[in-house]
Amino acid sequence: MMYDFIVVGSGSGGGSLAYYLNKSGAKVLLIEAGRFYRKDTFPKTEAETSAHLYWGGGIEFAKDGRMGFLRTKMVGGSSIVYQCLMDRFDDIALNDWKQESGVDWFTPEIMSAHYDQVESDIALHTFVPEERNGNGKLFIKGCEKHNYKWDYLRRGQSDCAVDRGNDCIGCLGGCFRDSKQSSLVAFVQKAEKEGLEIIPDTEILKVEPNADSCKIHGYQNGKKVSFEGKKVILSGGAFGTTRMMTLSGFKSKLPTIGKKFSSHPQFMWLGFQNEIVDAHKGSFQTVASKDPNFRKLGFKLENVFASPISIGMLMNEDGIEHQRLMKQYRYMQCIEVAVRDENVGEIMCDNKGKLTVSKPLTDQDKKRRDLGHQAIENILSASGAREIYKSKFYFGLHLMGGCVMGTDASKSVVNPDFQVHGEKNLYIVDSSIYPNAPGINPGLTIKTLGHRLATQLTK
Amino acid sequence: MANFFSTRATKGLLKVGDIYCPKNGEFPAFSEAAGTAHLNSLIKNIPSDDFSSLSMVLAIFSFFPQFVLRWITGICTNAQNNPSDGMLPSLLRQLNIGLRGLCYSIYYSELTNPNFKGQTPLQVMGYQLNRITD
Ligand SMILES: Cc1cc2nc3c(=O)[nH]c(=O)nc-3n(C[C@H](O)[C@H](O)[C@H](O)COP(=O)(O)OP(=O)(O)OC[C@H]3O[C@@H](n4cnc5c(N)ncnc54)[C@H](O)[C@@H]3O)c2cc1C
Repeated sequence: MMYDFIVVGSGSGGGSLAYYLNKSGAKVLLIEAGRFYRKDTFPKTEAETSAHLYWGGGIEFAKDGRMGFLRTKMVGGSSIVYQCLMDRFDDIALNDWKQESGVDWFTPEIMSAHYDQVESDIALHTFVPEERNGNGKLFIKGCEKHNYKWDYLRRGQSDCAVDRGNDCIGCLGGCFRDSKQSSLVAFVQKAEKEGLEIIPDTEILKVEPNADSCKIHGYQNGKKVSFEGKKVILSGGAFGTTRMMTLSGFKSKLPTIGKKFSSHPQFMWLGFQNEIVDAHKGSFQTVASKDPNFRKLGFKLENVFASPISIGMLMNEDGIEHQRLMKQYRYMQCIEVAVRDENVGEIMCDNKGKLTVSKPLTDQDKKRRDLGHQAIENILSASGAREIYKSKFYFGLHLMGGCVMGTDASKSVVNPDFQVHGEKNLYIVDSSIYPNAPGINPGLTIKTLGHRLATQLTK
Repeated sequence: MANFFSTRATKGLLKVGDIYCPKNGEFPAFSEAAGTAHLNSLIKNIPSDDFSSLSMVLAIFSFFPQFVLRWITGICTNAQNNPSDGMLPSLLRQLNIGLRGLCYSIYYSELTNPNFKGQTPLQVMGYQLNRITD
């Protein structure tokens, strides 16, 4: 069967692209390596969430064993577990992309039409004062004492039932209410109703473009399978797409494959209060720093929290000391610094498909981290923390680059039309094409790029 | 072949788990409370190469006395502060997270041992999560 379009990977990029392509009436196939979970079949516990939904059965590491990476494998991709904070890129991020890539449409004017369309297809909510939980209130108190600017966050959600006692932290393992606007809820399920063909449990290993079409080959439940589309679009995420491109032998022609990887390294610190905070209750993440000075310095602070196992993993203590800290779970407040990092990382893949990732922190990254840590310490102290836990563990949730977009084939993998350089029928749209780290939540813009490509392909 | 925890590896995990999560006041010992019956379902997505190494390490641990294990886990813990990016510290860091990850997953979670009658670690912490699904 010849499809008009085959999209490989159903996360933020692939889900939105498939939705808009399908809407145009084209014959579209969406292929996904992971399972097809629904709101009533997501794992029910934190342990099962990590083990069943994440690639690698939990966390994947940089080769120095320092930084952990999180990405998921299921219909909806990482958007199933994301916090769904939906931010547009500012002029700084778009200008830096334009400069690095030479792509002239990275402008606020051109991007805003796509943002407008995608935002009209997602239920968006900006938090209000009554929705702050204990952690949010302490964050604001600390920021105000130091004159740091902060703001309420905008999240993709329709009806979280927080007023009826729902604790949204549970949706980090998939939303049980179909309220969080994952790619599954906002795009894939809607497109499914309109006839989009979706094949889960199918991992693509090789792509084979030719003059009139593109073939793809992989495995479905252990059996070899192949598909053919007039055009194939890879949306496997930074690691997944880089892996498919490397295994398909493009690296000799496009040496930049795997390079320019960045990931907004995130460092979480905890403060311990005398009163119960219950940072895991209600809407657990409602505010963040919005300080122009922080933006200039290259970091931002987020008022985050996590479920018990993840909080336990932040602490490198053993035995009794670890339990002493964990016993204070309900008294914890938490802030993280996310660093706008340099794109010097590299995703490598051997011929068996095993990934190795190099992600050293540069001197500039470390400086940004340290400035962020200083601000966190100020906020925690000013909000009354009697003890501060400075975790050394850090991780990347925003995996970007590896198949970056640009005008020059010697420095990039896809051209400004999302086409793999030199290939008429092979495209990429996902976070792998990010030229560098924007320092802003990447999810909305990935969806927006999906919309741009769909518009272009269905013209 | 599917990943599978041998009896030996489980024994090693129980021993090492008692170092990370000992009996301490209201907190039960790992070996009392942890739901090892859940282990096989938690490891099925770990790449088989990585799992074989981890499982072998745990099987070897099962033969060591507790004081030797305490020394080894101490080395893994300290690797986190080691500035070297050499192969050994990198492996020790990964082992540190891998072991902690397994232990905490069946200790600080709902996946505790159903035969354990005392307060679970989550109950000791007062952790409760409400899910409104309708
Ligand atoms: C815990 C967490 C919280 C986050 N919070 C936010 C947030 O609040 N706001 C925000 O903007 N971003 C957030 N992010 C980041 C955001 O989720 C990602 O940046 C985004 O989803 C990446 O989109 P993508 O399309 O590039 O990849 P993904 O969404 O990861 O999708 C890639 C898909 O491709 C599939 N795939 C890979 N390889 C293959 C293959 N060979 N064959 C078939 N299928 C394949 C994968 O299984 C996956 O489903 C968060 C991420 C995490 C992990």
